[in-house]
Amino acid sequence: MSETFEPKIIAFVCTYCTYAGADLAGTSRLKYAPNVRIIRLPCTGRISPMFILKALQKGADGILISGCHPGDCHFTHGNYHARRRWMVFRSLLDFMGISPERVKFSWISAAEGGKFADLINNVTEDIRKLGPFDQYKELIMETEAPATL
Amino acid sequence: MITQEKYRSKAKKLLADGSVKMVIGYSPGSTADRRRPLFVRSFEEADQLVLDSNCIANLSGYLVTEGLLSDEKRVAIFLRPEGIRSLNILAAESQLNVDQIIIFGFDSIGREVSSLSGEHAGEFSELISSIKENPPEKSSEPLLYQIEQMNPQERFAFWKEEFSRCIKCYACRQSCPMCYCRRCIVDSNQPQWVNTSSHTLGNFEWNIVRAFHLAGRCVGCGNCDRSCPVNIPLRLINARMAAEVLESFDHFAGMSTTQEPVLASFKKEDSETFIL
Repeated sequence: MSETFEPKIIAFVCTYCTYAGADLAGTSRLKYAPNVRIIRLPCTGRISPMFILKALQKGADGILISGCHPGDCHFTHGNYHARRRWMVFRSLLDFMGISPERVKFSWISAAEGGKFADLINNVTEDIRKLGPFDQYKELIMETEAPATL
Repeated sequence: MITQEKYRSKAKKLLADGSVKMVIGYSPGSTADRRRPLFVRSFEEADQLVLDSNCIANLSGYLVTEGLLSDEKRVAIFLRPEGIRSLNILAAESQLNVDQIIIFGFDSIGREVSSLSGEHAGEFSELISSIKENPPEKSSEPLLYQIEQMNPQERFAFWKEEFSRCIKCYACRQSCPMCYCRRCIVDSNQPQWVNTSSHTLGNFEWNIVRAFHLAGRCVGCGNCDRSCPVNIPLRLINARMAAEVLESFDHFAGMSTTQEPVLASFKKEDSETFIL
């Protein structure tokens, strides 16, 4: 019997909106896929592209980035800066052959617990369909292999 | 030749009357078609300056050499239009004071070199606007088009092949006028973001990070591409990024000395079609 592939998804979320939204999903007893590891940050503007690369380097199959809706940022415009940055970074990843399907972005407010649960389920399903990120994992394996002389 | 003579005598005049302390230009290189940067400090040395169609390196990066401009004296420099654009970016990012820079502008078509009129950064805005309006033909970069037609797996395989040759010599960084950080992110080891051994994984990360840091700043001078000892087509990544910021944010790098950096500014109506 072949086991279904369980993707590892890293979610970088802002503490004021999406993390609170995830909290609401929890306190509302909504059930969602357990494949996501949430990392809480002060703002989407704090999320450096390095975090995404680091997550991939550590074997993530998918990445989710989520924060406050435009206009709702606790720091007034952190998410506007983030939006521009992701627009560019997304096309860069695409050009390098890292499918943009693996890196997802969303806006989830503190009141959208239901949206959070749905999003996690959908993203998990999408990444499951894509399968493990084998191409990147081959590169990771290479760094762990003993040196050949 | 006429342009070379014109700038030689101009360099002599400026050095002789002390209005500039240095002229940064080109001298003959190790082979007939190579040119080497030359730093002229005195009147007599100005005769070594060479200007022809082989002078392709963008010299503007030398302007941010530590201490060069801190005495507030002026420096003259040979720049092509891309070089003037990178000078604008350096000024916009507060790395130098453009009033200290005298531009010896030139451009070439085929082997013919012509001078550009103007000697201060602000005087070239019309020229730069016309470059923005008349981008080079897409057919000039067939490989870029080819990569864009691939699917993600093929693209990944393509870059894996290219980056597997990278030896992390950082020549791309050293030659780039935009890479002036005192401490590059790749040299940071707490935390260490990028694998420093030259495994393909670390090479991928390094080249992605560099391309991202150049998004909206690269002027396509080609210094990185030419300096790469293993011939990775780095210009393609930067060209793709430049196209992206132009399409999405109408940003053309190096328009003026007061242009806002594209990733340090935003508009409320920026596109967000990719956000769920």
